[in-house]
Amino acid sequence: MNVREAVASATVYPAPALGKVRFLGKDAPYWRLLIRGAFLLICTLGIYRFWLATDIRRFLWGNTEIAGDHLEYTGTALELLVGFLIAIAILLPINILFFLAALDLGLIGELSGVIAFILLALLGQFAIYRARRYRLSRTVYRGVRFYQTGSAWAYAFYALMWWAAIALTLGLAYPWAQKSLERFKMRRTYYGDLAGYFEGSALALFLRGLPLWLLVIGPLLGGIAAAAHAIDWPALTEALNEGGSGLAARVEASNPGFARAIIFFLGAAVWSALAAAVLYPAFQAMVLRWWSAGLRFGDVTVTSRLRTGQIYRAYFRFLLYGILFAIAFSLVGFAMLGVGDLLKGKFPSAEAEELITIGVAVVGYMIFALGYSTIYQATVKLALWRRGMEAAEISGIAALDRVKAAGRPTSAVGEGLADALHLGGI
Amino acid sequence: MTSGSGIFFDGNSSARQEVTVELAPADLVLRSREGQLLAQWPYAELDQVHSPDQVLRLVRGRESLARLEIRDPVFAAAIDDKATAVDRTGAVQRRMSMKVAALVILAVASIGSMALFALPALATRLTPLLPFWVERKLGQAVDAQLRASLGSDVAGTPLECGEAVGESAGRAALTALIARLEAETALPMPLRAGVLRRKEPNAIALPGGQIYVFEGLIAKAQTPDELAGVIAHELGHVVRRDGVKGLLETAGLSFLFGILFGDFVGGGAIVVAASSVLQSSYSRETEAGADAYAVALMNRVGGKAEALGALLSRIDALHGAGPAILRDHPQTAQRVAAIRSLARPGPGSPLLDGTQWASLKNICAGH
Repeated sequence: MNVREAVASATVYPAPALGKVRFLGKDAPYWRLLIRGAFLLICTLGIYRFWLATDIRRFLWGNTEIAGDHLEYTGTALELLVGFLIAIAILLPINILFFLAALDLGLIGELSGVIAFILLALLGQFAIYRARRYRLSRTVYRGVRFYQTGSAWAYAFYALMWWAAIALTLGLAYPWAQKSLERFKMRRTYYGDLAGYFEGSALALFLRGLPLWLLVIGPLLGGIAAAAHAIDWPALTEALNEGGSGLAARVEASNPGFARAIIFFLGAAVWSALAAAVLYPAFQAMVLRWWSAGLRFGDVTVTSRLRTGQIYRAYFRFLLYGILFAIAFSLVGFAMLGVGDLLKGKFPSAEAEELITIGVAVVGYMIFALGYSTIYQATVKLALWRRGMEAAEISGIAALDRVKAAGRPTSAVGEGLADALHLGGI
Repeated sequence: MTSGSGIFFDGNSSARQEVTVELAPADLVLRSREGQLLAQWPYAELDQVHSPDQVLRLVRGRESLARLEIRDPVFAAAIDDKATAVDRTGAVQRRMSMKVAALVILAVASIGSMALFALPALATRLTPLLPFWVERKLGQAVDAQLRASLGSDVAGTPLECGEAVGESAGRAALTALIARLEAETALPMPLRAGVLRRKEPNAIALPGGQIYVFEGLIAKAQTPDELAGVIAHELGHVVRRDGVKGLLETAGLSFLFGILFGDFVGGGAIVVAASSVLQSSYSRETEAGADAYAVALMNRVGGKAEALGALLSRIDALHGAGPAILRDHPQTAQRVAAIRSLARPGPGSPLLDGTQWASLKNICAGH
């Protein structure tokens, strides 16, 4: 907040637009916030992430105007830091237990990997639900907070089951999983005394998503089936089991079409990967549209006019900035290599030279990776938020005028767990 | 300007109330359009919370959700003049975030120096507290992994030497050599020694008192005392329980750098780089300690302690060296010099006679 600037430029608040959602944030301050944050992330080896996440949320929430008033994010970085430290204290004994169990040479040792995987997956979903609870309870609109109830363990169990179903059906169960999990969350979400629920139709999402699924997964399945059909399996098994040298020749002799089958399969796999990359923005737009149109709070309903082209435009901007960044980065990199050549042998000791070389390489890599992450945040992530919000049209808005306050702020341990398990949200 | 308009949310309901705000001498007086008194907020208790640039959002105390929003910049400036906690320049905010950044950088530096100095000291203190059965279990797990990953250099032969009929004389010589060394040490746990059929000139000590000498090392050794020096070095690891200490250090590092730090895009690189540089520095210290132990032990049994240095130089001449700060052993020249400075001068008496040494050289020849 900078009132002097506001006074100087005499910007007066634009007339509020009732019945609409607007996003008032400008690109330039968001870039400044992200670049400054990236710099401090490097200096602090990542500890600054709690402050950066808080700044990002303040920006996104604070600039979102619903029916003339703004969302307000009331969370603080210190809460996130404390939540993270508590999460570490919870995870440390669990990790030590699994380390000791893995030492056991018997059944426990062999099973400990599987058990650890399932437990961490459960804990991850638990953390995601609790993190949502924290974020909601730090979201204030018109002086009334949002909050969430419900058992995070129950959610974790459902989520794990649904993700297993998605994996087993190669993604076809995704709409039903989304609908079921979103209903679980929204039915336990409140704005003051106004209860939320979710009305998206899984079948509608399925029918809209089916063409995308056929374009991505269909050729892959076709490739696998065709390859499996073209190979003479008994002959191949025999050739593989024969032993001795000349394996490739034997395989070719037993299966004249083997090389062609493999090439056909690889072609299908490449096609699927390309199609997935090209169609992903369309998928994202489709799900975002479907999700926001399903949101309900009491009599308040939402529809979304989000256009797929808007999301593609964001990805194109990401690509453009990404290419420019890569060019700038390589120019600086070459210059650094030249400087390194000049300085060679001028360090007090070989150790110092090695240490500096490694340091420069590591910092260079971090700048590269963080650069792309920053560009992604400022183009794609911001566009998803901005476009998703601005495309929303709200009806029954009068219900928002007489909501009674309820709910208490809750702890940030869930966010900390999600962070420690590398499942960070926004 | 002594009064203006604002939007008031009372924190109990979402009702949006247009209010007139009056700048009284000691407080803000909020009245509804009908003139009804809604709230009186003393300037001393006023605070501002985050809001879009064009809006001044005021609260009374941080706990309440009641909010007063001023959207007229001129009136906002007038309120700022009265209330000290309201800071329209953003200077307090900036100073605050500078302070946070400086504090966090300081904390990172202190944790980093802890990793460099306190972590190995802590591991050294904790190691004696670990019960032997845990170390034994650890050793078994490491042994199983090692055997699975090493296999044998020669297909169709067992990994371990000294078990075939033609190798039993070599085995007896090795046992005799170790017995002479063991007589002068107080091992914390029973020792088990073996020779592995691998061509690398190497020897290792696992947690739990298991040591392995590789066939390649026996081939490179020219005298029994050279081999004895290496075994004494590994005995040093066993006595000092360096295997467990190393595991504790690795666990501590992966905790510090894997969990606390580095959870951002590209952060993995700094974690890997810092951990490997630190780990190598711990390990160099440990190896220097084992060298000193080996020399003292060789001095006690009356062997030629300098022989270890001779063997190390010979191996180093054949194999190149990687970057110094990533090496887990000290520079060979430094090691040899340190060994020389500690070794008792004089020829010493060989720890095995000619026949025993010849059979030990052939401990892997039975297959």
